[in-house]
Amino acid sequence: MMTPAEKRELWRHMREPAITFAVLLAFLAINVTIGWLQPFPAVWAVEGAIMVLMIATVLLFSMEVIEEPALIKFFSILGFVWVAILFGMTMIDYVTR
Amino acid sequence: MSDRAAIGVELAEQFTDVAQQRRAATLGMWSWLLTELLLFAALFLIALVLRILHPDSVREAAHHLKFWIGATNTAVLICSSLTMSGAIVTSRLGWQRAMVRCMLATAALGSLFLVFKGYEYYQDYIEHMTPFLAWRPYELSGDRASQLYVSLYYVATALHAFHLTTGVAILLGLAWQARANGYLQRHQNRIEIYGLYWHFIDLMWIMVFTIIYVMNR
Repeated sequence: MMTPAEKRELWRHMREPAITFAVLLAFLAINVTIGWLQPFPAVWAVEGAIMVLMIATVLLFSMEVIEEPALIKFFSILGFVWVAILFGMTMIDYVTR
Repeated sequence: MSDRAAIGVELAEQFTDVAQQRRAATLGMWSWLLTELLLFAALFLIALVLRILHPDSVREAAHHLKFWIGATNTAVLICSSLTMSGAIVTSRLGWQRAMVRCMLATAALGSLFLVFKGYEYYQDYIEHMTPFLAWRPYELSGDRASQLYVSLYYVATALHAFHLTTGVAILLGLAWQARANGYLQRHQNRIEIYGLYWHFIDLMWIMVFTIIYVMNR
């Protein structure tokens, strides 16, 4: 059994993961609701924006990039930026045909 | 919870100190994760290109996907991320038994995801949504472009399921090792590094679900 002091210590350390968990579930609930109802034609843009927020939440808080040294922070974010550049260059071609 | 173990990392000879060793391990894991990101990104890009070239076919195919199973699986993986964070936190506190329990809970949630995924594939099979099976009629046989999207769905979800299966296997192996006395004193770093992989699997599924199941409906 945990003592009250240990419970307090555990909660102090688990508060951030618990909040991250709640935020991710809330984002998921929004995406599922609008994905199911399809309230307006350009709803995909909102769904994409929520996905980006979920990715940022996992990266910064679950994967703790926010607490990493500058080099790892730079390296991890650069990977996603690089993918975004590749996406952008490819989509410009298809969207403007 | 009086069984608090000492925590630390056994210094490998090529490093000057433990901090350098930890940073090198984290950077190494990130290098690998980014190659994985590029692998999945190519599939997401194909999904978006198909959407632009064949919007009606993609929408029709996406409506045959099991939206609610995908949503449930996303929630399951988000729960598994919480238990993995629990394993990392308890490893930092030196609570070895709680850490192993959190790892086993994470593996159980990962397995639950795979069960739902297997059921989803079974439903797809029942509904003739398997264009790659030559002996079985395809539900949207008049729409050849939809075959591309459905095939992409199988490639993306099977690739993710493969990563999750290896993730569960590694996690069970790690939990088995972590039961030993003195494990946290020598290898606490392994839990942190593995946690990155697990969260990344979660991240990839969030992208698969949103791009394949939700955005193209």
